[in-house]
Formats: sequence, structure tokens, C-alpha cells
Amino acid sequence: MKEVLARGAESVIYKIEEWGFSFVLKWRQAKPYLLKDIDSHLRKSRTSRECKMLTVSRSLGVPTPAVYSVDLDKHMIMMDFISGTQFKQLAGQVSRSDLISLCRGFGKLIALLHEGNVVHGDPTTSNIIVDDRSRMWIVDFGLSEMNATLEMKGVDLHLIHRALETTHWDLQETMLDSTLEGYVDVLGSTAEPTLSRMKEIRERGRYH
Amino acid sequence: MTLHCLGIEGTAHSFGAGVVTSDGKVLSNEWDMLKPDQGGIHPREASRHHSEVGPDIIRKAIQKAAIGFQDIDLIAFSRGPGLGPCLRTTATIARTLSLKLEVPLVDVNHCVAHIEIGCLESTFNDPVTVYVSGGNTQIIAFAGGRFRTFGETLDIAIGNMLDVLGRELGMGFPGGPIIEIEAKKGEVYHNLPYSVKGMDLSYSGMLTAAKKLYSEGVPTPEICYSVQETSFGMLAEIAERAIAHTKKSELLLTGGVARNNRLTEILSGVAERHEAEFHRVSPSLAGDQGAMIAWNGILQFNAGRQIEVENSHVLPKWRTDDQDILWR
Repeated sequence: MKEVLARGAESVIYKIEEWGFSFVLKWRQAKPYLLKDIDSHLRKSRTSRECKMLTVSRSLGVPTPAVYSVDLDKHMIMMDFISGTQFKQLAGQVSRSDLISLCRGFGKLIALLHEGNVVHGDPTTSNIIVDDRSRMWIVDFGLSEMNATLEMKGVDLHLIHRALETTHWDLQETMLDSTLEGYVDVLGSTAEPTLSRMKEIRERGRYH
Repeated sequence: MTLHCLGIEGTAHSFGAGVVTSDGKVLSNEWDMLKPDQGGIHPREASRHHSEVGPDIIRKAIQKAAIGFQDIDLIAFSRGPGLGPCLRTTATIARTLSLKLEVPLVDVNHCVAHIEIGCLESTFNDPVTVYVSGGNTQIIAFAGGRFRTFGETLDIAIGNMLDVLGRELGMGFPGGPIIEIEAKKGEVYHNLPYSVKGMDLSYSGMLTAAKKLYSEGVPTPEICYSVQETSFGMLAEIAERAIAHTKKSELLLTGGVARNNRLTEILSGVAERHEAEFHRVSPSLAGDQGAMIAWNGILQFNAGRQIEVENSHVLPKWRTDDQDILWR
């Protein structure tokens, strides 16, 4: 049994049933409109990067789906299916206090990654899954990187800011504040340079 | 009653004037672009260009529209974002006309106008817009009363990157169109930095790397080919992220770089993959011109927004997402 869960920017996500369990199959399809050299390089490097970073991130204390198998030629990864809801959808439905605690949780997870010098690369609320026990999982590590510099961490926070202002415009202040609170809770004063870099990066964009 | 709006655009190196009716008919669209003999655009020279050619272009726009100045019902002008001196020259012309003709003045956001003229032409309702020009690289979609910038360049605009590269390669201004022609002759791909961060991207590293290829003696067509494929591939990716994230079903390509056929081909492929409709704004409406300002002026005026001359100071840093969109 194979069911399309989502058609993402660079992959199709299937839900499959095997041995009585549910799994996710993530398939990075070829994009015929791109130059073949670029397309195959991206598909291959991101598939292998994602496998690695899902595991590295888990070792840092961040819940991520476990990888069961990978096919680098077909650009497919089989991993845990996380039963839950995208944070993006949940944000508008929960109470203010629940939203604040979810955002703090989100900020803490990002801080754990940064503490281990890992950046996620695409930390939108679409890539956070909240399971039935309110536990948060991070998915989609195709743009994730190790040995992250201050600049890369600053970009990660900048991307959170951007995701909140475009997708949760009516809640953006509450959400940004509590996400950053969670971030600082973990990192303490070492968060400061990254927070100021985040602001600096935002101002580098046009018309700030 | 049908309104006639005269739109005046002058945010950077182009000055334009166009007449559009409230039925959405573009009656005229005249413009002139400053082409420096060497180097880039100097704001002072561009503003001088605008004050020199402006009156003539406006007169031509009125003539081509086959109306007289007395038929103009409102004046719209590009209030920002853009180069301060250029904006001020343009605004001064608009204010003068508004006072002289005793018609309302409407202040238009340049970036929003690019999207709205694209929607008029394509009949799209709610697209993800890829806006690419010499000064801007943005992925924009409407949400919660505003056009939100889902992604943008973290350093230089794609058109700027292409023009500067063109200059390095000994091409005239603008370099983009020449790069497109050269790229067709290129067959060998050279690796360049592919820099996508979420829905943002960065082009400065690519520019440096491309210059380096040139200094190493790599033939121009190969450089142009590699730069186009990489930079457009990055745009395709962030456009896909925006479509997947917003779940919108229309993709609009606009701005001066929309004239590039390879970029159009790539983005129409993106749209097809996501079962979205695709439209590339036609060349005469894609670059900076007055018709888009006029059409946006009508939308805004009909939604009850105009501006008094004394409050009409220009906004060089007016972001796309800074304006409440009253007509949507």
C-alpha cells in the first residue's frame, strides 16, 4: 500500500505499510527542467546528507525519524512515519499558552542543533511535526549542514523569523518571542552573537 | 464611468509613462532607459535622465493613448522602493501634473505594481510571484492582507549579478540579454556555488566564482551557460518551496529578467510539476514601465486610497510587505 502524503518542493513523500508498521518513503524525483548535472548532484548529495543529518541530529537530543534504508541511485529514503500534525497547521488552532509552549519547544530543538554546530537549513513550521503526545519532531534535513559557523546559525534563525512573518503573520510576534526564549533557555548568553547576527542578516536584505 | 490613469515610473534607470483605463486596457506605455557608456547606474545621472526625457515621454504616452491631458482622471507614481534621486524627480513630475490638472494623486509601490500588472495580463487571482530584475529578486505571495516576501536574495539581485558579470566579460549594459545569447552556445558545465537557504538565496559567491572562471580562460559561452543554469536552478528551487509551502496554484514570472527564455522554460517546468498554471509577463509589461503604475493606481484609487501632495514624500526603502493591500 502506498499513499502520497505530500508533494514537497524537491520530493514526493509516500506513506507505506510494511510488516504491520507505517513508514515514510521520501523520493527525490528527477526534475527534467533543470540541467542534468545540477539536478543529479543535488538529488544525490541531499539524499545522503539527509540520512546522515537525521542521525546526527538525534544524537544531539533532537527527535527525528529513524532511517531504515536508503537507495542513493534512486534517491529514496525509508524512515519512521511520525503520526501527528504539522506545527504550521496546529499554530492557528491551539490556545495562546499552548502556542507559547510549543514555540519554546521549537526554539529549544533548534538550540540543541546549534549547540552541536548543526543547522537545519529550512526551519519552517512545515518541517516540525507535533505528535499525539505533544512531542515535537524535526523533519526534512536536505539542507542541513554540520560544522556550522556563526553566519550559518544566524541564517537559520533569520529563516525562522521569515517563516513566521509570512506564514503566521497574525501570531508572528508571540511566536518569534517565545521561540527565541526557548532558544536562549538552552544556550544562555552564548545565544547572543547568533541573535545579533540574525538581525544583521535581515537588514542585509533589501529595503530594511 | 471609465477612468483614465496616467502612471509614471522612475525608480531606477528607466523612466516610463503609461495610460491605463479602469477596464484594464493599456492604451499606451512609453519608456526610455539610461544606458551608460561604461560602468553601472549612477543615481544622479539616472535622475537627470528622467528630468530630461520625462516630459517628452509623458506627452508621447498621452498622444499614443489618443486622449488629451483633460481626459486624465488620476495620476499614479512610483513612490518606492528605488534610488532616492530618481524617485524624487519622478514624484515631482507627478505632483506637478496632479496640481496642474486638478486630479487625485496615488502613490504606488513599485514591486506590488509588477505583481498586479502580471495578474491583469494573466487573469491570475492569487499567484506565487517570482519577481526578478536588476534591483530585486523576490518570491512573493499574498497572505493576510499583504504581499509577503517568502524568499529573497540575501545579497545582490539576479539582474545585477548578470549585468556585473556581463561587464566583466566585456559586454555592454544590460548584460543579461547578451549572456542569454552566449549561453546558447555553451555546452560545458562548470560547477558554481549553489546557495539556497530555505526560501532565500545568495548570488555574490556565484559572481566571484564566475569571474574566477573567466580569469582562468574558460570560454565566455561556457561561463554564461553555467551561470544561467545554476542561478535559474536556484530560483526554481525557491519557487518550488514557496508553491509547496503556500499550496497556491498559479506561478507568475515578472520583472526585467522575466524576458529570459531559459528562465521561463525552467519555471514553466516547475509549475507543471506542481500542477500550477504558469504565466510569464510579456516583455513590454515585464520591465519597469508606467502602465503597471497606472493599473495599480486605479486599483488603489478604487479602494479609496489617494495621497495629498504634502504627504507624498518618496519611500526609497518601501518594502513589498509594508503596504496594506486594500483592494484584495
